[in-house]
Amino acid sequence: MASRLLRGAGMLAAQALRARGPSGAAAVRSMASGGGVPTDEEQATGLEREIMLAAKKGLDPYNILAPKGASGTREDPNLVPSISNKRIVGCICEEDNTSVVWFWLHKGEAQRCPRCGAHYKLMPQQLAH
Amino acid sequence: MTHQSHAYHMVKPSPWPLTGALSALLMTSGLAMWFHFHSTTLLMLGLLTNMLTMYQWWRDVMRESTYQGHHTLPVQKGLRYGMILFITSEVFFFAGFFWAFYHSSLAPTPQLGAHWPPTGITPLNPLEVPLLNTSVLLASGVSITWAHHSLMENNRNQMIQALLITILLGLYFTLLQASEYFEAPFTISDGIYGSTFFVATGFHGLHVIIGSTFLTICLIRQLMFHFTSKHHFGFEAAAWYWHFVDVVWLFLYVSIYWWGS
Repeated sequence: MASRLLRGAGMLAAQALRARGPSGAAAVRSMASGGGVPTDEEQATGLEREIMLAAKKGLDPYNILAPKGASGTREDPNLVPSISNKRIVGCICEEDNTSVVWFWLHKGEAQRCPRCGAHYKLMPQQLAH
Repeated sequence: MTHQSHAYHMVKPSPWPLTGALSALLMTSGLAMWFHFHSTTLLMLGLLTNMLTMYQWWRDVMRESTYQGHHTLPVQKGLRYGMILFITSEVFFFAGFFWAFYHSSLAPTPQLGAHWPPTGITPLNPLEVPLLNTSVLLASGVSITWAHHSLMENNRNQMIQALLITILLGLYFTLLQASEYFEAPFTISDGIYGSTFFVATGFHGLHVIIGSTFLTICLIRQLMFHFTSKHHFGFEAAAWYWHFVDVVWLFLYVSIYWWGS
């Protein structure tokens, strides 16, 4: 195992050396920009890449950012996306409150926060793909 | 594609936590066997399984992050917290040894001659190799910062050079310290002076070796193009650890080598 690592390291060193042009100046990897370090744009993959590309378009399909609060009235309830028929909601009511009111929000009619009365409505959705 | 609506990483089942725990059992019981029965078999087995666990666990982390893209920003944030908490725990680990040193040296007992360094101890001159060691580690702190900035500015060759310099300085420190250990006029069994000196500097030296290993892994990864200019937390974690090792040395130098001489 150790010899495999050493051989690998040796090959990398040889490769790094070979990457230098005949004049000794370092050749730049064709894909990488500027001085040879790849960027996320070039190299990010998987979920990281998916989120990065969505964020560029101003989207947040994986709910990284805190949800924006709606006015919470009957006409303008907070829309809570869910992949099933219910989801836990934590209502902070007023800004800087130190306690959170937790309750299950079920599919169907909008429910109200027991403390501040803000309206919440469940929005069933498909899994983000 | 993914089947989750969150950005976190639900790690697939892995055997390495179990093999790690087993290796810890083998290492500890192996130590006991070595101390009491002069047999190193269990200990060697423990060290081997420990090395194998670390290699395979961290290899899997590299696969999950660089090759599979599971390390989204929230995941990275968690890793940052984790590394900070770990380094904090190490700070407390060293705090214990500094406590022991100051406990014994601030009020030296009559058995020691009521002064510090105790009777019979010739401490190392803080202006000789220990001062060189200080400059070596401080310089390595500069070179690793250079490496980081080079990485962030897409400068591959400078990053590799600076990281290599950092590692070589770390190796230089280790060699100098090993030579000091060999040449020192006192040993670990020379009373409380010897105990506090070698346990504190010894654990520090171990951490330098660990840090140098971490940096070397980063060098290999950089050679393999793993790091991007924006996403290179493995390197940042190694840099944080390296600065921590440097700071511990500064405390050691001022307390034990300088004030304690």
